Amino acid sequence: MRERSEVDLRLAGKTIINQLGVVLRTGQIHDIDNVAVVDAVDKFIRLVNPVIEAEGLLKIDVIGEFFYINDSRVRYPLEYMLNFDYLLREFQRRELGTVVFGARLETDEIKTFLRVFMSSAYSGTPYDAMEASLEECTNIRIDRLKKITEDGDMDQKKIVKKTYFNAVSFTESVMNRVKAGEKVNMKVAKRVVESMVDLILSEEQLLVGMTAIKDYDEYTYHHSVNVSVLSIAMGQKIGLSRKALTELGLVALFHDIGKMEIPKEILNKPSAFTEEEWSIIRRHPYLGARVLLKLKGFDRTSIRSAVVAFEHHLHYDYSGYPEVRNPVKLDFYTRIITIADQYDAMTSSRVYARVPLAPDRALRIIMERSGSELDPVLCKFFTNMIGVYPVGSLVLLDTREMGLVYECNPLFADRPRVMIIVDGNGRMTEGVIADLTERDTEGRYLKSIVKTLDPNRYRLNLAKYLL
Amino acid sequence: MPHAQEVKEIIQALVKAKKNLRIYPENNPVYARIVDDIHARITSVLEYTGELSLKIRQHDIFFDGESVYHGDGKEENLALFFFKDGVRELTFNKGLPRNEMEDFLGILAVDFDREALDDDIVTLMWEKDFRFIHYMVDDSILLEDETYEERAVEEAKKASQDNEGILQAYREASSIEAGPVTHVVPITDADLDHMIREIEEDTDDKSIKLIHLLFEMLSQVGDTAEYAELAGFIGSALDFAVRHGNLDAAVYTLEKIDKETAGDGCENEVRARLEDLKRFMCSDDFVSGIAEVLDEGTEFDEALLQRFASLLDSDAIPSFIHVLGELRSAQARRAVISILSELGRKDIQSVARGLQDRRWYVVRNIICILRQIGDATAVEHLVRAVRHPDKRVKKEAIRTLGVMGTADVLHVLNECISDEDELVRLTAVRAVGLIGTPLSKKILLDRVADRGFRDKTFNEKREFFEVLSRWRDDDVVALMIRALKRRTIFKRAKNTETRAAAAHGLGMTGSADALEPLMKLKNAKNRLLRDNVQAAIKRITGEREKRS
Repeated sequence: MRERSEVDLRLAGKTIINQLGVVLRTGQIHDIDNVAVVDAVDKFIRLVNPVIEAEGLLKIDVIGEFFYINDSRVRYPLEYMLNFDYLLREFQRRELGTVVFGARLETDEIKTFLRVFMSSAYSGTPYDAMEASLEECTNIRIDRLKKITEDGDMDQKKIVKKTYFNAVSFTESVMNRVKAGEKVNMKVAKRVVESMVDLILSEEQLLVGMTAIKDYDEYTYHHSVNVSVLSIAMGQKIGLSRKALTELGLVALFHDIGKMEIPKEILNKPSAFTEEEWSIIRRHPYLGARVLLKLKGFDRTSIRSAVVAFEHHLHYDYSGYPEVRNPVKLDFYTRIITIADQYDAMTSSRVYARVPLAPDRALRIIMERSGSELDPVLCKFFTNMIGVYPVGSLVLLDTREMGLVYECNPLFADRPRVMIIVDGNGRMTEGVIADLTERDTEGRYLKSIVKTLDPNRYRLNLAKYLL
Repeated sequence: MPHAQEVKEIIQALVKAKKNLRIYPENNPVYARIVDDIHARITSVLEYTGELSLKIRQHDIFFDGESVYHGDGKEENLALFFFKDGVRELTFNKGLPRNEMEDFLGILAVDFDREALDDDIVTLMWEKDFRFIHYMVDDSILLEDETYEERAVEEAKKASQDNEGILQAYREASSIEAGPVTHVVPITDADLDHMIREIEEDTDDKSIKLIHLLFEMLSQVGDTAEYAELAGFIGSALDFAVRHGNLDAAVYTLEKIDKETAGDGCENEVRARLEDLKRFMCSDDFVSGIAEVLDEGTEFDEALLQRFASLLDSDAIPSFIHVLGELRSAQARRAVISILSELGRKDIQSVARGLQDRRWYVVRNIICILRQIGDATAVEHLVRAVRHPDKRVKKEAIRTLGVMGTADVLHVLNECISDEDELVRLTAVRAVGLIGTPLSKKILLDRVADRGFRDKTFNEKREFFEVLSRWRDDDVVALMIRALKRRTIFKRAKNTETRAAAAHGLGMTGSADALEPLMKLKNAKNRLLRDNVQAAIKRITGEREKRS
């Protein structure tokens, strides 16, 4: 019986979280005795009680940006995304980290929980208010949201860095092998991308943050990995499976492989390209598709990689290159990768475009291109993922401190974590991290962004702070 | 803590399972027993320990610091099997369900030397996303350059600016006008629905898309070698698609080739490569790919098969005839017959050559195909097939001649009415009736009038009268009435059979003239005669009532 319930829990988890979201959202709109609320509560109870019976209790935890039910992480399903995000936001607002239902639930108990949850929103200390109100309710126990410790952050950061540089190193060796006409080990390629997928699922912000550092010599290799990371992150946001994320990551990693066939003297030319040189550059999608089809036998991944390599400059409205006689709808992965590609290229310093754009400026351009060059719906997902202030943005706070956006907050797009590099008195500091969602006892935000600056204008070296 | 001996036994069971699971298919009871046995062993240990953690080294597996497995060499070394892909620790946790155990053992049984996989053990385990089996992996084995990270970080940091840049930014910050803020547009339910549809519609097989793009590329190059390479890619993509059950890709390619080569605008070089491609699609290699997926149970829509065959060159006919004899499933044969029936319309002679195949079942299928095509030029080949030594082929050929033939083939069918095999004779009688000319009637009437007719079996005589009944002419009815009334002294039993068969025939004619003689016999003592007479009366009166 226990085995069965554990297997089912995996599937039931997302439905339970979704239904709790429905209960709370409905409770926010209607009176607690309204039929819509009662129905939602009853459905929640029907979902939860079998699990409580089988497992002895039902524990919902929020750790980072994920829900866990009885210590099993709940997958982030696209169809329930709005309810998941809502619930996560509301839990975080109340500093609510854990809810434990100890025994079979009755309708009145959930109604009490709902009432307490709703009313706590008006308290300056919502968690304390909830805890006090639920004291009488022995069947429901709550716990405060735990902050992820800095030590844990540091360990994870090491892993993230290692994974990122492994991927770059591997990409370099792949490209060199392709140039030398040697075979490429796809087993290794998969392993590299699987590691990135794992990190996107657990440490999305840290890995995406790595893509903000652009101070490397080897643009092409880092760009390939960055596009892969950003694409996987976007794929995760739109609900692709782990296997699909791996395929997307692999395809993205190879999207620019055609550049290996372009003479280095053109690729690294410091001055503007001639028309003829542009026409050679514009052949890289075609050359990339050819390389990928020769790399190994035909399989699903090589076919898709070739399709994406050919299409990644075509544009959503077919205004790009290479010119095609009979346009057909761009591949789904192409449309994802094109956004990641454009964003990373804009924010990078390339040989032929020395001055990169500030991340927030690049994001504005992405939005301007939404619906023309880029898929409009995917652009929405991308901007939601990257946030109003992408990692690497240089910002001035209302406390007169200046900092670098260190990590985005997917739930509060305008309230990232910021590394303070100049304090309010204009003195350099040692990079304290400030979470802009933090509030004072009266519920006012402690720090807010007032403006952004272009980090490139001041030759800011992000690697120094973010690596 | 379990005893090391207990763990040793589990490892030995895993070693055995690794070999044995390769032998048995997953639905075999032995396979299930192996899984059950190992699952029971591990779960019984986990029941009191909570977890079972194994450290993996190149030649050893350690449990609690003690070696519980040692394997030398490369072959069948369980430790090396995990170690070579970087697995350094393997932990089974309490609650391990059977299905997870089975998936794990399935990976253990993979023969990486024989199966050309792009996945290693870590990828296979990763894809299974185990909840109760955890592993630690050393990813450094993937690296060619272990110092890469160190160098890259150093290089990135050395470009560090002095503090003046930052302080300048700070000084200027207050005077810089705040730029526009990008507002993140919230994701709506409609966006989510849209994305769910995108994901659902995003098929795994992108062959058609690739083929489409390769045709685009063909139109952009101008180099002979590139033409050949791109056409080769289309062929490979097509082969991949078809071997994965995507016949639409073949239809798409053929349509594309026809479109590209239709006008004068197609360059000769491109035209030649596309014709090569079309020839490839007629080859044994390509056709055997289709045959394989059909035999694996892939079903194609009839309209798709017809469309495919209608676009394909008739050069593919010999390859399809070849695979027709190799297919194991009836459904696959039906699909190939359908393709050949369509293809054969373009070249009946090529299909007819299949009648010379040494496999009788192929010949029989070819006859079916010729019948479906219905081309009169096939008749001469069918006439030869009537003399095939296998009676199953013979019957099929006779039946087909009945459907397709004219009076010209009646002499052949008349010969078949004298065949030594009764089923062949019956088929021939039906075929003669189907042709339905006056000569057909004459042949049958002559046979019935023949002295030897009485000695035939009841079934055969009934077949003659039934076939004759289609004419409903007076002379036919009169002959049947005569046969019904005929009484003899000798061979009375045989004569009664003839009378019963005639009664059956009269019933089939529906003739009112037959009612009177039939009524007289409706209480005949002989049961066979009585039953046939009563059935005939019922049929005639029923028909008359229906008419009135």
